[in-house]
Amino acid sequence: MKNYLEINVVRFIHLLRHAGIRIGSGEVIDALNALALLDLSDRDAVKAALKATLVKRPGEQPVFNKAFDVFFAPPEAKEKQSTEYRQKLDEHQQQLEQAGEELSFQGTALDLSDKEKTVYASIPDKDREKLLDYINKTSSGKNVEQHFKPLLESVVKGSLSYWRKSLRDELDLSDRPQTGDQDIDALVDAVGSTGEGGFGSLLEEDMQNIADKDLPRAQALIRKLARQMVARISRRYRQSKKHKQLDLRKSIRHNIRFGGTMFRLRYRSRRVQKPKLILLCDVSGSMARYASFVLQFIYGIHAVVGSIESFVFSEDLERVTESFEQGANFNATMLDVINRSSEWGRGTNLAASLRTLRSKHAHILTGNSYVLIVSDTKTMALDEAVREVSQLKRRVKDIIWLNTLPQQEWEHGKTVQTLKNVVRMYPCNTLSELEAVMRRKIII
Amino acid sequence: MKGRMKKLEATIANLRKTFTDLGYITDEEVLTTVYLSLKLEKPLLIEGAPGVGKTELAKVLSQVFDTDLIRLQCYEGLDENKALYEWNYQRQLLKIQISKETACVEDLEQDLFSEEYLLERPLLKAIQSEKKVVLLIDEVDKTDEEFEAFLFEVLSDFQVSVPELGTIKARQIPMVVLTSNNERELSDGLKRRCIYLYLDYPTVDREIEIIRARIPDIGDKLSLEIAKAVSLIRSDQDIKKKPSIAETLDWGRALVTMEKDRLTKNAVDQTLNLLLKTKSDIDAFKSNIGAVRLEEYVRTEKS
Repeated sequence: MKNYLEINVVRFIHLLRHAGIRIGSGEVIDALNALALLDLSDRDAVKAALKATLVKRPGEQPVFNKAFDVFFAPPEAKEKQSTEYRQKLDEHQQQLEQAGEELSFQGTALDLSDKEKTVYASIPDKDREKLLDYINKTSSGKNVEQHFKPLLESVVKGSLSYWRKSLRDELDLSDRPQTGDQDIDALVDAVGSTGEGGFGSLLEEDMQNIADKDLPRAQALIRKLARQMVARISRRYRQSKKHKQLDLRKSIRHNIRFGGTMFRLRYRSRRVQKPKLILLCDVSGSMARYASFVLQFIYGIHAVVGSIESFVFSEDLERVTESFEQGANFNATMLDVINRSSEWGRGTNLAASLRTLRSKHAHILTGNSYVLIVSDTKTMALDEAVREVSQLKRRVKDIIWLNTLPQQEWEHGKTVQTLKNVVRMYPCNTLSELEAVMRRKIII
Repeated sequence: MKGRMKKLEATIANLRKTFTDLGYITDEEVLTTVYLSLKLEKPLLIEGAPGVGKTELAKVLSQVFDTDLIRLQCYEGLDENKALYEWNYQRQLLKIQISKETACVEDLEQDLFSEEYLLERPLLKAIQSEKKVVLLIDEVDKTDEEFEAFLFEVLSDFQVSVPELGTIKARQIPMVVLTSNNERELSDGLKRRCIYLYLDYPTVDREIEIIRARIPDIGDKLSLEIAKAVSLIRSDQDIKKKPSIAETLDWGRALVTMEKDRLTKNAVDQTLNLLLKTKSDIDAFKSNIGAVRLEEYVRTEKS
């Protein structure tokens, strides 16, 4: 067949792109040029050539290896894969249909997303029966009318969201690949389900959903991100050697020894002050996991920010700076803080917490400190909280709010909308968002 | 492209042979990648942990083609003046002082901006060279992003313009090798222009070959045990600075000098500081592995 090689390579690249590897068109041409130089029957050489021209991040190598094996598999294996994939799709579709039939209220189906239905299909039989039983009882109860449906829906959704969290290690809720080419869909699915997608998948995962088994990997990733950031920021605080503005006075003084000939020039450079960070972590029930990630990251960049004061808050505020400065193992420290703190896992009262900050720790609120609040904005006494935040804002350089709610949920939250008007708010739901916000916004 | 550039036709087989002759033991993937970079005349970007032989590869390449190695060591704050060219400012001043009264002003100006007063820095040197040289841009991740952008301009066109002199075009496109420790992610632009190679620590078998190639009078048993020991130490998560290949070789030479033919607990204790060079790493080794267990490990498991 004509252009057989080109078509195959392009299809393979298509697969790689869907697996999350960024490939430019220049690189495609490189790959084809490279293959022209090699013996195409030498599998290892072909693999090396494609790897060298297309995959340029160490983390992507496992994905590439897997994709290569899947794509350049013998025809029988490929056929098997494709059938398996179709079976999987059918099964999934059946599950959804069954769930849709079961989850209904007086004959009309409940308004649930496909993901919620998948969760429903995966919960243990006994608990599923219980839930179903509850739905049936409600829908057939006395005086139950159609407008009860939204109420039931929210109860069911609540229960499913609980199961989604407790089953997060087993569930596969990733969206089905949709490339418009079923063969490639099957391959993408096979590549994606290997579970060794490097760091890429973890970066985009809601921090709260990072499974326990992934924690070591997440921590390694945080360390790496923090190290890269240290390298980037420390450059900025180094005295600039770049020649910007001539310092005439210093130059003349310095060159007197050469008889006034301008032999060595002196330049002005601006001294940059390191920012101080005041970190307020919300540690009420749902927030604990986020807080531990954010704290780890911040302490990772400890070396380049001036000083960090950290507090945890829920109903009131508590200072935890010392615990983290002893330099002990991070996990042990974190555990220690959780055990010791009386604030861990309670309701949130931002207003009271900020009041304590202002009254008890007034000396650290200075003109060059940044306040970082890590919270999902769910607080009691909202109006008071807004007042406190605006008061605090006048005392410090800036307040930056890292919101752990996924950004698409922002518009539904009243607290988010109100607080957003007072402070700069950034999404901080995944590790990559955390990294992005730290990189762009903090150290100005 | 003509002239005395290559005595040797670059093929994978030839590369394999000359690399081995020079004591650089490596695998097919590396050879293929190097070969492609030579043939496509694209810069070779090598990433990997410190001490896996990235810089060494460039040095070996210059030996293979019997040509000069021009090295640009990158560091924070490296700028065009240090990398490309600079006017010899002091010399120009002296010239002005000397010829203050005698020379004609226009001649002097012409004269001051001639090649005589141009300080060649590595990039310009590589471009101006008559021979096809190997240009090693070492630890490119240490530079600033602006410099990186400037660099990939030079690397895609292989020409530079000096405002006072005009454009200088490369006589021979140099073989460019960039290395990075991945301290910071390099820009997509730079990566796109390069052929990419990720070097990892060698496998136990490969490391045995390296040890034998570099330390000819080492015994079979000792080289096997050293390779296994180093691979175990590298796999320990708590050891921050993993032993490099060069350190493995130093260790091997030390053990040979001490006339050891097996790895024993005593020998390990005495020579550990050749392999691990910070206190925290040595502590981690002692608490996680320990000399006794290391000796047992290299003895019991057959590979």
